Amino acid sequence: MTNTNLTQRQIIEAGLKKRYRKERAFKAAGVISIIFGLSWLVLLFGDIIGKGMPAFKSTMIQLSVNLDADDLGIDPEDATTFNKGNYDRVIRNAIRSEFAEVKSRGDRRSLGRIVSSNAGYDLRDLIKENPTLINTQASVWVKADSVVDDYFKNYYSPQKPGHILTDKQLIWVNDLIDRDKVTFQFNKGFFTSSDSRDPESAGVAGALKGSVLALIVCLVLAFPIAIAAAVYLEEFAPKNRLTDIIEVNINNLAAVPSIIFGLLGLAIFLNLFGMPRSAPLLGGMVLALMTLPTIIISARAAIKAVPPSIREAAYGLGASKMQVVLHHVIPLAMPGMLTGAIIGIAQALGETAPLLMIGMVAFIVDIPQGITDPATVLPVQIYLWSDSPERGFVANTSAAIMVLLGVLITMNLSAVLLRKRLEKRW
Amino acid sequence: MDSRFFTEHSSTKFNEDLEAIRTTTLEMGGLVAHQLAQALKAFSSGDSGLATEVIANESKVDSFELEIDHRCLEIIARRAPAAGDLRMVIVCMKMASDLERVGDEITKIANMAIKLLESGNLKMGMHEVKFIGQQVTNMLATALDGFARIDASSYGDICEREQEVDASYGSGVRSLVTYMMEDPRSISDAMNMMWTLRSLERIGDHVENLAEQIVYLVEGKDVRTEG
Amino acid sequence: MKLVDNVTEHTIPKDTVGTPFSDNAEISVRNVDVFYGEKQAIHNVSLDIGKNEVIAMIGPSGCGKSTFLRVLNRMNDTIDICRVTGEIIHDGENIYAPKTDVVPLRARVGMVFQKPNPFPKSIYDNVAYGPKLHGIASRRTDLDEIVETSLTKAGLWNEVKDRLHTPGTGLSGGQQQRLCIARTIAVNPEVILMDEPCSALDPIATAKIEELIAELSTNYTIAIVTHSMQQAARVSNRTAYFHLGHLVEVNPTEQVFTNPDHALTEAYITGRFG
Repeated sequence: MTNTNLTQRQIIEAGLKKRYRKERAFKAAGVISIIFGLSWLVLLFGDIIGKGMPAFKSTMIQLSVNLDADDLGIDPEDATTFNKGNYDRVIRNAIRSEFAEVKSRGDRRSLGRIVSSNAGYDLRDLIKENPTLINTQASVWVKADSVVDDYFKNYYSPQKPGHILTDKQLIWVNDLIDRDKVTFQFNKGFFTSSDSRDPESAGVAGALKGSVLALIVCLVLAFPIAIAAAVYLEEFAPKNRLTDIIEVNINNLAAVPSIIFGLLGLAIFLNLFGMPRSAPLLGGMVLALMTLPTIIISARAAIKAVPPSIREAAYGLGASKMQVVLHHVIPLAMPGMLTGAIIGIAQALGETAPLLMIGMVAFIVDIPQGITDPATVLPVQIYLWSDSPERGFVANTSAAIMVLLGVLITMNLSAVLLRKRLEKRW
Repeated sequence: MDSRFFTEHSSTKFNEDLEAIRTTTLEMGGLVAHQLAQALKAFSSGDSGLATEVIANESKVDSFELEIDHRCLEIIARRAPAAGDLRMVIVCMKMASDLERVGDEITKIANMAIKLLESGNLKMGMHEVKFIGQQVTNMLATALDGFARIDASSYGDICEREQEVDASYGSGVRSLVTYMMEDPRSISDAMNMMWTLRSLERIGDHVENLAEQIVYLVEGKDVRTEG
Repeated sequence: MKLVDNVTEHTIPKDTVGTPFSDNAEISVRNVDVFYGEKQAIHNVSLDIGKNEVIAMIGPSGCGKSTFLRVLNRMNDTIDICRVTGEIIHDGENIYAPKTDVVPLRARVGMVFQKPNPFPKSIYDNVAYGPKLHGIASRRTDLDEIVETSLTKAGLWNEVKDRLHTPGTGLSGGQQQRLCIARTIAVNPEVILMDEPCSALDPIATAKIEELIAELSTNYTIAIVTHSMQQAARVSNRTAYFHLGHLVEVNPTEQVFTNPDHALTEAYITGRFG
């Protein structure tokens, strides 16, 4: 001992405080980092949820409509004529009859605008569903126009500048409220309809289905190819220069900007093979190219993690290489492979750039019925809405982000559950 | 044979334990040899005090045997010795047992010496006692020396001497029987002398056992059936 | 302290000392060299493994005993850089001949590994895997019978008969190792190779495995690698001592443990190195 004045124990005790202080500082640094990260997340989510929640509600106005077949210009016996009917006029008449005192041409037009311009389509769908309503006086709920909707969602108020409800419209709306003819209810249409020019009618159904179709194509293509590649590289390929080069290239591919894959899809699938533009099939193929390296890498890691003792046991019993791989390696690596696949697919779900290149950015009103129909996907829909000037699309954008996040969380959760379920101890 | 050598065990304690039983056995052998010399000296010098001393020291021999047994058992239990180590432990135990019996025989001899010195009749069989005494003393010294050097080369020599001892014992017995037939009054002394001879002959047997143990220790061969 | 009589140096002998050959050989190994790339792991080993004998292979770490064991059923084939020369004759055929197929060979020369490695399947499926693989039994009743007899032979039947369809990995370490033995004997091999089968087990489980080895030796030839000399002494009929890739000595176990022929064996047995 060099210091004779202090015993070893005293030296240790003197140092202890410093050690503990450092330890606390180290822990605190970690906690602060987490709090920092979390607060940003809360801020982001708070903002998105705050903005998006109103999109899940919509303002409805009750109208008593006279569904006279002649007025509508349809034949009650022939369903094919239903599409040609003049529903807008019926709606217009109904709203005018609510306010019989409004006479001037300009006021009448202004009055008509408190009802959504798509209300006629909703009425048409109602009659298609329920033809017995024809030639009756029916009380129906129709969507209010987005300006009225915005008013109810407190985006605009007479006190706030910029509201575009005229004073007269305001009086009529308040009059309707007094007569209990206005409700504020869950916006089912957001989940059942596709894109629209009017924010009150726009929904995510088309984009959601487009995403699902594209991802199914992506998974069906990418998963088997990736597993086959990973199994070959890990179990069968000789370790030489060539396989080294392949390995490096796979790792590089995983880091290639996704737009490159879009360009590749554009050049090869669209221009060379002439596949249908904007289709989920095409999108899925491009996304498959993009997710392949990710799945291959995680599948290889999963195969590597299969304990050699299991392989030895199987070889020791006289199993052939293929039997070892099929009976033991793949089943044991499956949870890891699936996790990798889901992570890859989740990544693909959020991908926009490559899809822009292959035309999935179009304005598509119809819900795609198959993988060859034109479609858009959720992230592209979000991108499109975020670009729209109407106030109502701000809410729609955030609501679509919430839907996207919901799908992502569901997928990641299922990855965890799948892994828990399939995982086996050894 | 000069091939024995010491190498360090990977466990120093094990090494020490093995060394300890060997040196303790050698110490015991030394004590027994000393006792034998004292007992024989009692005959030649007529000093019964030496014989008394020998009898008193018998308990030391016994305690040596106990100590060696105990240590050997401990090594077996704790270390599970194998090969040369195993033979060393087993041989030490057996040698301790043989040496203890030699010690018993020496005590008998010392008792006879006291009785014979009291009666003063030491003539009968004295020649054989001296000869056999000389032989077994040599044999014991040779055996212990072999054990100390881990050398089994003296085994043949010891066997030869043992046969000489047997022959000499036979002639001694015959001459003592003659004395007894000639003079029945001498029967008691002759019998004591005969017991002495008998003990010395038994010591020879035990020493031969020691030599056999040493052969087993060094060569791993069991020579008992051959002898 | 060290006693050596007839061998005065710690030198590796040119030829194996003792009795490496047998008249009743199940496997005859002749002049086998094993290389890992440039490195030679086994040097010119010749040895007979007798029918129904238990032969123990001992030696310090890295002496090649495990490598030698794995050569006997070509488990080393899975290592690319491993190369074997010489002959290993089993049932009249050189197992390293080009025409020999490893799949049936491994069915006839089974292996039990150091770490219990049951498949993450049920106990039943673990045992039934080998017979299914080789098509020995396809009908359910035949399989049931094989599973029962194998588990019985491995001394595990009574412990697991009520939970045959629970995972094999849920058993204790010793039970898992006996399950692995049952799995090996389910394909009815002639030879069982055991690579330190008890090194991961507690003494009681070890004792059970050793007892099992003694029972199995009536029907099977067993070659066991062990780092426990006491285990070699307890279970084997003959003991082979490997040193730096050389087979130094083969002798009856009793002789090896009381009076080995070679100084290296003695030095290892008595704990002077290794």
